[in-house]
Amino acid sequence: MRSIPGIGYLLIALVLVFTAFGSGFATVTNGFNIGVQSSVLLLLALPMTLVIMSEGLDLSMGAVLSLAGVVLATLLMNGRSLPAASVAAIAVGALFGFANGLLVVGLGIPPFVATLGTLGIAQGLALVITGGQSVVGVGDALPALYESRPLGLPFSIVIALAAFLVFRFTFRHTPFGAYVSAIGGNRESLVLAGVKANRYHVGIYVLAGVMAGVAALLLTGRMSSGHPTAAIGMEFDAIAAVIVGGTSFERGKGSLGGTVIGVLTIGVLKNGLNVLEVPSSLQVASIGVLTIVALVIESILEPAARRLWRSA
Amino acid sequence: MKRLVFRLAAIATIGAALSVTTESFLTLTNLLNVLRQASLTFLIASGLTFTVLTAGLDLSVGANVGLSACLAGTVMQSTGSVALGAATGLVFGAGIGILNGLMVTLLRLPPFIATYGMLWTLNGVTYWFMGGDTIHGFPAGFRALGSGYWLGVPVPIYLMAALLFAGVVFTRYTTHGHEVFAIGANREAARLSGVPIRARLNLVYVLSGAMAGLAAIVYLARLNSAEADIGEPLTLPAIAAVLIGGTSLFGGVGSLLGTLIGALTLTLVVNGMNLLAIDASWQPLVTGVIVILAVWIDVMTRRRAEATI
Amino acid sequence: MTRLPAFGGVKLVARDLRFAARCSWLVLLTCTVTPAILHADGERIAVFTKNQTNPYFQMLRLGADNAAKQLNARVTHYVPTRPDSIPDQMSQIEDVITKRPDAAVFVPVDFKAVAPGLLKMNAAKIPVVNVTDRVEKGEIVTFVGLDDYNVGLATARYLFTKMNGAGGVVILEGVRGVQTSSERLRGFKKALEEFPKIKLLASQPANYQRLAALTVTENLIQSHPNINGVLAANDSMALGALEAFDGANRKVLAVGINGTKEAMDAIKAGRLLASGDNNGFVQGCIGTMAAIRRLRNLPVPKEVVFPATVIDSTNYKAYDLLDSQRSCPKWESVVK
Repeated sequence: MRSIPGIGYLLIALVLVFTAFGSGFATVTNGFNIGVQSSVLLLLALPMTLVIMSEGLDLSMGAVLSLAGVVLATLLMNGRSLPAASVAAIAVGALFGFANGLLVVGLGIPPFVATLGTLGIAQGLALVITGGQSVVGVGDALPALYESRPLGLPFSIVIALAAFLVFRFTFRHTPFGAYVSAIGGNRESLVLAGVKANRYHVGIYVLAGVMAGVAALLLTGRMSSGHPTAAIGMEFDAIAAVIVGGTSFERGKGSLGGTVIGVLTIGVLKNGLNVLEVPSSLQVASIGVLTIVALVIESILEPAARRLWRSA
Repeated sequence: MKRLVFRLAAIATIGAALSVTTESFLTLTNLLNVLRQASLTFLIASGLTFTVLTAGLDLSVGANVGLSACLAGTVMQSTGSVALGAATGLVFGAGIGILNGLMVTLLRLPPFIATYGMLWTLNGVTYWFMGGDTIHGFPAGFRALGSGYWLGVPVPIYLMAALLFAGVVFTRYTTHGHEVFAIGANREAARLSGVPIRARLNLVYVLSGAMAGLAAIVYLARLNSAEADIGEPLTLPAIAAVLIGGTSLFGGVGSLLGTLIGALTLTLVVNGMNLLAIDASWQPLVTGVIVILAVWIDVMTRRRAEATI
Repeated sequence: MTRLPAFGGVKLVARDLRFAARCSWLVLLTCTVTPAILHADGERIAVFTKNQTNPYFQMLRLGADNAAKQLNARVTHYVPTRPDSIPDQMSQIEDVITKRPDAAVFVPVDFKAVAPGLLKMNAAKIPVVNVTDRVEKGEIVTFVGLDDYNVGLATARYLFTKMNGAGGVVILEGVRGVQTSSERLRGFKKALEEFPKIKLLASQPANYQRLAALTVTENLIQSHPNINGVLAANDSMALGALEAFDGANRKVLAVGINGTKEAMDAIKAGRLLASGDNNGFVQGCIGTMAAIRRLRNLPVPKEVVFPATVIDSTNYKAYDLLDSQRSCPKWESVVK
């Protein structure tokens, strides 16, 4: 039995329940909906996995995403080409990622604090630039790209899948991937081995910023506009998805596959609750309860089950 | 101690800059206002400080304040008894604290996400319970707790002072307090020294919840109303206050006085920006920069201290 | 031939089964069609609102429920789990489309950014009634709401008249970027032009929230000792500002917008001067009625814009209703 994280069983259980009780849940269209709705979160959660494995956090991702989206939309509105504007948006993300890296690695500021600070800076900039308003008039190129269906799949799902494959490859087959967990738990070993740990450490945060920029492409395409507060709170969702998926702050272990399952679980839950027409207050509470349940499964039930399995 | 001195110096600098740039700052009324405005953040942040001292966190405090305020207000209005309502708020807040503590100690869940799950759960319950209604209209005697004066000083300031005093006594002069610091500094060493880890962890989360309950009562008294979404904007400033005040997220280092200074710093910034008619859109940016600067100073002093060893 | 189970001693034959099948099909048809004829309704309406906490949207949802009950339709509410979240509302629209509701009543979280969602509903041929925040593009059956600009203008004119055309005033804006907020502000500023002796001392956003308004006003009182009037874009902020003035032991003329129950009480008690009417309940009623009328091929005007009325101590009684007493007005009495 391959190691499906405990959360995987929760996901399966949710899918079964929603299929049984929700008319319209188990359809291709709805499945695509879940995928599309989860893709932005996955783009944030993948780098967040690496950040958390390095015993860090990035609270600024939502605000940086929104700012990058605003920059993207503004450039498109002013007639710039999509490729140029996209590069600019990703550059904004990379810039903030680099700033995070400098603060954490260079100045030694704890990641929670550093990224809380850059959250404020990014959010403030976005609000001041836009005055709180959406930036519309982005033209047709981006929405058309967003609505396109390469290989028959919605564009955002393709991007999310591609991102997952790239991350997985990087994590498993490059030195960078190997260093990530060491940076978290066992930095001295890297330094002793002559690895420039600091560079890779900063690189993790730059990567997170870049992915926030890529996610901005998707979100701006989805809304056909840029909005300064569109992605508020998404970094917390990403952190929850990562932790619930099996990565942990202390133990240095992490799983990108687990993150995908975590993101899908959140997406399936939200979608299923809508399909079931559950009242909104109950939806909000369910998300909270499910997070805790998923944690319990991850922290208690799964190790216990594994012990049971091994001793049997 | 040096870190507190730095922070006090920072506040003094901000204060001086404001006194020079606007004449409305350095008046007794304004300074008392600032202290009163800081009180809500400080009440919440004080309980939060204890959880952070153990290298934990309580993200549910804002939602806790919201639900406790709504419950307390409802009880006050339906029974007509202020005491009963206040007790409800406090007990409920502490009760949520107990649940948080159990999640951390019994279920061994990571505090960050466990309290985040509690946040969503509390919000859902609040939305269901309040359904968009507003509770308003409380007796004038009760409202003095939030908006009144005693001997010319706003009442919440006395509350802050009392809390500060109790907190300092707790952290410096009681075994429980020392043990909280020890758990944060080195949990294994604390365990080996016989510190009852679980009991102390439960204690700090209960304190966090109880302070949220107290903040809820003060909120009701000050705003004379409660709605489902009042707690939402309260969490982040509380966390920022704790961090600016020098309490370390890794545990074992920090103080309530620092948290008070942190709360004051944030309030001063908003006050100053209002007085100088600076657009409110700049507030997140300024707050973010201050958080980074404040902690950077700590890091610098620690590095310099380590370098001299 | 497959063996069939004996039925109480009577053997069933394929012929009998075919007969039974046709009969049951007829019965099934009758059972579904008859109720549809007797109540030619049961329309399913999806109602989208911005958040669960603002009392205004709560009243709107109540109005929608009330109208649906009156007209024998069914309403399902969709509210973002994260308040005012654009991605959440977009996701909900997509999820709702798979359920194929008959019509939708739509309050966009952001009147510009949720346009693709509206276009998706258009593409799915779901008729949409737009309420409160007027969308920028997309097809709608009708718009039901205020002209926020006119309400802001009327409320401000009222305040300035009561100030005898002179004095210092502060504006508490709502949430920057939200359509109701910017339109009301536009109305406020127009009124300022009409009263040259009224001086605008400060204009700050307070996010439609009471605590923010209280803090901002407390600070503004320090820098402007001569505030005679407060112009707030909603009642919560007006009441928060009043708390600040009470704390400073000063009197001020304050007006808000929305006409909430709390505002009525404050007007009755002489604390709040007036409030611009914004009846979420009626808008929910009329919006839902419009959707149902469109489904039943009854005429619906291109927009239903409520007149700008200012509620004050002379006329508040008509607006001061308990939730339980509220019932939807007749369509004809509202839509002339």
